[in-house]
Amino acid sequence: MRLHVELRARATQKYEGGSEERARQAAQRQFGNQTQWKETSRDMWGWNSLETLQQDVTYAMRMLRKTPIFTIVSVLTLTLGIGMNTAVFSVVDAVMLRGLPYHDADRLVSLWEEVNGREDPATMSSSGARGRSAGRGGAKQLSISPANMPDYRGTKVFANLAEYDLTQMNLTGSGEPARLYCQRITERFFDVLQVSPARGRLPGADDLKPGADEVAVIADGLWKRRFGQDPALLGATILLDSRPHRVIGILPEGFESPSQYQLKDPIDFYVPVSLPQSMLTNRGEHLMQSVGRLADGHTVKSAQAALDTVSSALSAQFPATNRNLRASIAPLRDDITSSVRTPLFVMLGAVGFVVLIACINVANLLLVRALARRKETSVRFALGATRLRIVREFLVESLTLSLLGCAAGLLFGSWLLRWLIALAPANIPRLNQAHLDWRVFTVSAALATATGILFGCIPAWQASQAKPVDALRGHGQSGGSQTLRWRSALTIVEIALSMVLLIGAGLLLRSFAGIAGVDLGFQPERVLAMSINLPDARYGTAAERLRFFETLEARVRTLPGVNGVAFANRMPLRGGWSSGFTFPDAPDRTHEADFQAVSTGYFETIGLQLVAGRAIRAEDRTGQPAVAVVNLAFSRRLLGGKAALGERFRRGPQAPWITVVGVVNDIRRGGKTEDMRPQVYLPAAQTEIYPVRLADFAIRSSGDPRSLAKSIQTEVVALDKDQPVTAVRTLDEIVTASLAQRRFQLMLLLLFAAAALGLALIGVFGVVAHVVEQRTPELGIRLALGANPGSVMRMILMQAGILVGVGLATGIGGALAFSRSMESLLFGVTATDWRTYTIATLMLALVSLAASAIPARRASRVDPLIAIRYE
Amino acid sequence: MLILTTLTRHKEMHGFEIASSIQEVSGDVLQVEEGSLYPALQRMLIKGWLVAEWGRTQENRRARYYRVTPEGRKQLTEEIEGYRRVQGAIGRILRLA
Repeated sequence: MRLHVELRARATQKYEGGSEERARQAAQRQFGNQTQWKETSRDMWGWNSLETLQQDVTYAMRMLRKTPIFTIVSVLTLTLGIGMNTAVFSVVDAVMLRGLPYHDADRLVSLWEEVNGREDPATMSSSGARGRSAGRGGAKQLSISPANMPDYRGTKVFANLAEYDLTQMNLTGSGEPARLYCQRITERFFDVLQVSPARGRLPGADDLKPGADEVAVIADGLWKRRFGQDPALLGATILLDSRPHRVIGILPEGFESPSQYQLKDPIDFYVPVSLPQSMLTNRGEHLMQSVGRLADGHTVKSAQAALDTVSSALSAQFPATNRNLRASIAPLRDDITSSVRTPLFVMLGAVGFVVLIACINVANLLLVRALARRKETSVRFALGATRLRIVREFLVESLTLSLLGCAAGLLFGSWLLRWLIALAPANIPRLNQAHLDWRVFTVSAALATATGILFGCIPAWQASQAKPVDALRGHGQSGGSQTLRWRSALTIVEIALSMVLLIGAGLLLRSFAGIAGVDLGFQPERVLAMSINLPDARYGTAAERLRFFETLEARVRTLPGVNGVAFANRMPLRGGWSSGFTFPDAPDRTHEADFQAVSTGYFETIGLQLVAGRAIRAEDRTGQPAVAVVNLAFSRRLLGGKAALGERFRRGPQAPWITVVGVVNDIRRGGKTEDMRPQVYLPAAQTEIYPVRLADFAIRSSGDPRSLAKSIQTEVVALDKDQPVTAVRTLDEIVTASLAQRRFQLMLLLLFAAAALGLALIGVFGVVAHVVEQRTPELGIRLALGANPGSVMRMILMQAGILVGVGLATGIGGALAFSRSMESLLFGVTATDWRTYTIATLMLALVSLAASAIPARRASRVDPLIAIRYE
Repeated sequence: MLILTTLTRHKEMHGFEIASSIQEVSGDVLQVEEGSLYPALQRMLIKGWLVAEWGRTQENRRARYYRVTPEGRKQLTEEIEGYRRVQGAIGRILRLA
């Protein structure tokens, strides 16, 4: 083209004369816009789009590199938002949403029995009601009574229905003795779950006939861990609780029983049991759990209706045991996750907020950036760029940013997920199956990308509307009051969201402090407890078990560093037993209390104070008058405040009368969140007055109790080499573990609140800086006219203050709305606790103020000359 | 079309020569922005109607020389035919006027 112009110039000069300069100009004019022709020629190729895309990407990368702060902040923000969202949602998905790993798992239901109405539990006559206190609509949920089951089966709403419960058994005779979890099941258990064995067979009706050998089914995990996948195990005999069981089947890998989800340790055996006659006829004994598979054509609703009919019929027929009792079913999956549902959804909500804030922040940043480049954009328009081209370039830039953010977010998310799984408390079901969920990531990434595109391109479009001349002249330098309005609105939303999170975290914090501060009533420090479960085969009678423990007690007492020794059916915080009983003057009215069988050293060892009368003594043995020690709550709640000493009660019409000889303080036997219930302590040596087995052993030491664990174990082995010692824990550990879930929730929510706060601050800072920039000319004039810098700063701060104020108010409103859903997580503090709200407001206000102060100060330092020059 | 015609008459030309030729032959009636030649040439190159080669002018300046291809000639025939048809139609209408 250059040649062309030259030649034309020469030709013109030759033919028309005139100076070289004029000829050149004429030739140039005749040729036209060289650049335009060049571009048009290149356009012909049609590779145009690809080439320009590459150009755009390169350009975008260069622009991002030129403003490192913006790039880093945006990418970090996106990383935080996307990563957190992905991790938390993966958890929620694994725990709550994913189907259970059973065939057609939606047809599986849990069966419970509920006691309805405001029945005083003390008048219930069920013995050993091992229930869960969280029922629906205030009903108390109980395990089922096998005696009622034939009636439920009769409704024909279940294809299969089975009972099961969880226990532990000693495995001996093959390597080190161990105490392992064992699921006791009735005949149809595996039919309900529709499991096929990996090897061998599953239990059938023949195995439960009287006289048949005891059999067991082994879990795949145990087969690998302990028996080295030896196929010879099938058909072999193993000793469970010293009773021979023949191994008839091995379960497939990955099978988990419904009970597994509440346990961290694996369930290793499944032993079919035939229920004793007493259990099959006593409708008041609620001892087992039940799982069933709905028959074809039935839904949970229709099955529930059928069961209700049966329940009312039974209620009328057997008022003593079944009055107000109602069989209720729920999908198995809901049942398993019910305890963690609320906290998980709260977490999900919280993380959603954080993502929202992150996106808002990125949007803000992009808006400002586009605004700053308005001049450049207008120039390009003036030079002839098409609107499409400009918008496309902004698009590529936003997309590049989003891509970077998403990639980093993915990395962060996977790391965060691993961290969550590692630190989570033990009783979150199915947590270990959580993995990065691509759906979630895609949604988060899409959200982030959409935000980027929207807020990157809109300003470009806007800029293309404005007259280039304005932008070039610099009016648009800080312009865009519309942009400011957008940003302010967005920042208000950010502050509101942060407020909600902050308040939520504050409420949880107070709950946690409340629980942690609860007094248990006894001294768990330096107490070590362990379980020694003596199998029936070698310790058939209560007397034999008592002798074992008393011998052990005597031996352990001589160990150095031991201040107190005790044994009982269960130590505090490790479960227990409750029973009904009657007073002599009202034989028809049954009361209920927590019972335990304890040794003479019990009160001293756990640190429980005697208030009246005497403690359990060595003389309280079989053959002596039956005595008991009760707690203050006993006399408060059951005797109407009357002194308990000398009172008598018995556990049943044929049971011996027990006299109260001492009163102790109240303790929270179940942990910090439990009430103080009436307690009865029976002498361990009076074995005829209690049905439970002695199983727990504890010591109080002068130093670190864990150091004595080995020595105690040696003593146990010396007495019985096949006896495993299990669940060795200090009571302190148990207390800490019981708080684990709450602590974890608190930690997470604090993390989210902190993230939200940080992000909101950046937002506030940005907006105020923008305001200052926009008002720089005006401020400059004010300062030039003699305004006090302090007053300028105050002015800006006030403007920021209004913004923050609106955000805070909105946030408080939002918190009031949302915190209701958190109520079940709180302890000792209401969802509208004004103290928490006040502190959160103050904190956010102060921090926002600090963030605004920096640009405000800059405003007061504006050089009037420079500011005026803007015009 | 004009470009193709010009090139069929000479073996190969570079851009300026084509432009000069058109201007000469048309007797300065057709005046176009000479730069618009080049996108057109580019398009025809892509479509395969021309081939181009870098060479040297008489003064030893580097220039790109264009030549018609057989496809180009075919295209030219078609285009001339089309033009004649239009010409005929316009002529008939004018005669009636």
